[in-house]
Amino acid sequence: MHTELKAWSRRLSALSGFDAPAAGWAGVLAARRRRQSRANLRWPVPIAAAVLALAAGLGWWLHVTQRDLAQATAAAALPVPATEAVRAENARLEQLLATLPERRVMRGSTAFTVAELEDRLALLDDRLTRVTLEPNAPERSERLWRQRAEVMNSLVQVRYADAIGAY
Amino acid sequence: MTRIASIQIPPEIVAAAQAGDEAAVEAVYHATAGPLYTLLRRLVRRPAIAEELLQETFVDVLEHIGAYEGRCPLPAWIRALAVNRALMYLRSPWHRSLEWMDKDPGGADRLPARERAASVDAGVERALMTLPAISRAVVWLHDVEGYTHAEIGLSLGRTPSFSKSQLSRAHTRLRECLADSAPVAEELPCTPN
Repeated sequence: MHTELKAWSRRLSALSGFDAPAAGWAGVLAARRRRQSRANLRWPVPIAAAVLALAAGLGWWLHVTQRDLAQATAAAALPVPATEAVRAENARLEQLLATLPERRVMRGSTAFTVAELEDRLALLDDRLTRVTLEPNAPERSERLWRQRAEVMNSLVQVRYADAIGAY
Repeated sequence: MTRIASIQIPPEIVAAAQAGDEAAVEAVYHATAGPLYTLLRRLVRRPAIAEELLQETFVDVLEHIGAYEGRCPLPAWIRALAVNRALMYLRSPWHRSLEWMDKDPGGADRLPARERAASVDAGVERALMTLPAISRAVVWLHDVEGYTHAEIGLSLGRTPSFSKSQLSRAHTRLRECLADSAPVAEELPCTPN
């Protein structure tokens, strides 16, 4: 076994060598310059990252501050709207409507009226979703909410009358 | 082939290099570059990688020559740096991702005609190149560079037993490869089963 190891050692050691690379010592110096430039890059990168993080943080802080300020200003500029009361009335009527029994069969004229009122409600809901983008939005919004409350009231009355008539 | 351990560097050159004299380190480079490059070529096969590892080794020498205490000959110390760099490369994910290319017998494994012609034993050369990277490193470090199994195990982060088993299997494979290729035409690649 030991002889075999020596034989392998002899055979492998007898293999011809390779010539040193053509770049020679200049290649070593170039490699050193590359390593030094990489080392020089090590500090600027974390510093740049820290500056970027700081700038991002500052930007976020300014954004949040301005947003809060704008919200506070807007809230202060508008009086407590009457819209809130009308919205509450709408909500009350919707709850009332939900308690009324829904009949599967109703008279044609009643069904027609209910459908027309529901269509008007849908139209008003659509306008309410878009009214915030229009000029004089608060006033227009309040008017629409009032109209909706009136339509809801009508719908509740029709459905109530229909429900009473069924008994 | 000149063995690295047997290269003699004049003591005054070694002393000047230790003192940080770049010209002295350059002289050491010229004395050792050939055998070190051969060692690296045997370990990593790819000429460009071997050249880069040689350059990086000497950049290490330039930067850390102060750490050389003279306990072993300077060429042996530089060889240890080179071997560590090569083994680090062989263990790297980058090398593993390129291993499939090394298995191509027509690729980087194939030596230039001039080098094949210059080789005393082209069959051994070709058989050696078919070994997996770590096995080839173990064979070369043990059989040619005279590393012990304990040293190889330490360099690879494994046990001496690992080195022994790798060497045994590599010798078996070399034998089989040489036996298979003996009567076959020179140009046929020797591929392991």
